[in-house]
Amino acid sequence: MLGFLSARQTGLEDPLRLRRAESTRRVLGLELNKDRDVERIHGGGINTLDIEPVEGRYMLSGGSDGVIVLYDLENSSRQSYYTCKAVCSIGRDHPDVHRYSVETVQWYPHDTGMFTSSSFDKTLKVWDTNTLQTADVFNFEETVYSHHMSPVSTKHCLVAVGTRGPKVQLCDLKSGSCSHILQGHRQEILAVSWSPRYDYILATASADSRVKLWDVRRASGYLITLDQHNGKKSQAVESANTAHNGKVNGLCFTSDGLHLLTVGTDNRMRLWNSSNGENTLVNYGKVCNNSKKGLKFTVSCGCSSEFVFVPYGSTIAVYTVYSGEQITMLKGHYKTVDCCVFQSNFQELYSGSRDCNILAWVPSLYEPVPDDDETTTKSQLNPAFEDAWSSSDEEG
Amino acid sequence: MLVCASPPPLPALTGLRDDKLTLLSSSPGLGGTPGETVRHCSAPEDPIFRFSSLHSYPFPGTIKSRDMSWKRHHLIPETFGVKRRRKRGPVESDPLRGEPGSARAAVSELMQLFPRGLFEDALPPIVLRSQVYSLVPDRTVADRQLKELQEQGEIRIVQLGFDLDAHGIIFTEDYRTRVLKACDGRPYAGAVQKFLASVLPACGDLSFQQDQMTQTFGFRDSEITHLVNAGVLTVRDAGSWWLAVPGAGRFIKYFVKGRQAVLSMVRKAKYRELLLSELLGRRAPVVVRLGLTYHVHDLIGAQLVDCISTTSGTLLRLPET
Repeated sequence: MLGFLSARQTGLEDPLRLRRAESTRRVLGLELNKDRDVERIHGGGINTLDIEPVEGRYMLSGGSDGVIVLYDLENSSRQSYYTCKAVCSIGRDHPDVHRYSVETVQWYPHDTGMFTSSSFDKTLKVWDTNTLQTADVFNFEETVYSHHMSPVSTKHCLVAVGTRGPKVQLCDLKSGSCSHILQGHRQEILAVSWSPRYDYILATASADSRVKLWDVRRASGYLITLDQHNGKKSQAVESANTAHNGKVNGLCFTSDGLHLLTVGTDNRMRLWNSSNGENTLVNYGKVCNNSKKGLKFTVSCGCSSEFVFVPYGSTIAVYTVYSGEQITMLKGHYKTVDCCVFQSNFQELYSGSRDCNILAWVPSLYEPVPDDDETTTKSQLNPAFEDAWSSSDEEG
Repeated sequence: MLVCASPPPLPALTGLRDDKLTLLSSSPGLGGTPGETVRHCSAPEDPIFRFSSLHSYPFPGTIKSRDMSWKRHHLIPETFGVKRRRKRGPVESDPLRGEPGSARAAVSELMQLFPRGLFEDALPPIVLRSQVYSLVPDRTVADRQLKELQEQGEIRIVQLGFDLDAHGIIFTEDYRTRVLKACDGRPYAGAVQKFLASVLPACGDLSFQQDQMTQTFGFRDSEITHLVNAGVLTVRDAGSWWLAVPGAGRFIKYFVKGRQAVLSMVRKAKYRELLLSELLGRRAPVVVRLGLTYHVHDLIGAQLVDCISTTSGTLLRLPET
């Protein structure tokens, strides 16, 4: 580390290398820390978490009680012990609260003035953060499993919505109505994700074991159906291609958008090349997945070898993305973990589970060097814990 | 417990053990753990078991360190650019068997575990992909090497019907000879020979599509029906077929029953865990026709049991979930 710093100082090495090396080291040291806590507001399991991409400061969480809470992650107190407080919440007493469980929340990608939430009550609601009122509501015929808005797009404001029906709907925020329907899947759509690299590329995952890549400008249908066996692409009928041997639950693009990770109920996770749909055959082993709805997992950003954090039962499994080796399992939750998000500025991981807790996984720091100052150590000790006995013989 | 099995005391190291030693030596506190060889007890009813001199660990896939700090130390020097270069000793590699530790060597070795006599030589020796994972610890590398072998045409990968994930690996030569022998004198022999001659070398996939068969290879519908009757193709979907092994039904039946039987041996044990040496030393139940070693390789590779290295050897434990 000191070698890196001096190399950077003298200009022998790119500053990015030091940043990546240090980020990787911090991610490898993720663990639960007694000094960091997230305030517990939810009364039901937490289904979804999202950290705003602009500053990485505010986090939204959506629970199965329909409640949406906004947390401030920044530690502005001078102490090491910090609880992330809820800034505001849309609770059960709010007139516009979702009637059933909230499945996905997402910040508006360009600023924190707006966020979207979708729920089992067949609606997608667009909220204004400052007034906490709904700016718009989209109604659907079926329960909504997942929605996503493109994080990079400046040319369109489409929100892709995956419902229990086999059609993917694209809702336009500018006009307030559904502009597009993408047909091609046969069963419910469990996850949708826009590519972080191209404005118009969308990936959808469905319970019929298929993952399709779409260009939404194209009228004729999907671009590629991912095939786990990497069969010949010249087939006119791609109907037999499956990405997994069970339902496909979760989708995540890597941060550069060149690869796509999918998890399925066949207990496998696969890495795909997103430009040609080829299975890279990286084998992560058994990734237990019993979720009947979507599984929200996440990829690290800014490390030299990227890591993927997948909820695995009541733990979170950490793998390196491109080589498939399992680094560790983060144990801490009491019940099934449903979602996790990575804060790339500080290399922290937040995970939400059915035990109504959000846990913060923080890189373990070095042990603080004990102070030589006697008075400060004395004052930190609570008088109730002070020893009342003395080792001297004269006093009893 | 700190770390995996200790390094073997033999001075002549093959490539596989070189890797293991590199990893082990970078872990602190290994110190003087006494040399412990995993002795492999051959079950008396298991006639096909052969102790391979390739390595003294029959299940090297189980050697996985459970210590988080080892992983940290392993990745951090790589990240920070400090690479330890280890001089490799002279590695003897038999070009036929492939380098030790590679998928090719694993497949050859596992083929010897297959009981040929049980099927009267009518079936080619079939090895499962999960068994290869138990011998080659890095799954991604194993998958890639198997894919290369498949592309070179040395092996065929076949979908075994009972589990969509279970792939059988067969040497192409064995497959060809057995299929020709099986269809000798039958009405569909012509179609099968045409299939073996034209389609097998050209297309290395697991499955075939309708238009591929009719247009590219010129098969008529009646010929495709012959192939399905011969057992060379099984139906996957409307208009697509899996490649299959004729007569594999018996193998699959024995395999599924045997797998359940070996799993239940572990399940009935106290605390649902068994030492590997003890499991292999027990009498195989009558249902297990393919041999205990064969099934244990498959269970370990398919992660149906967790492998934990202890001071008394490898322990197989059923996962909690």
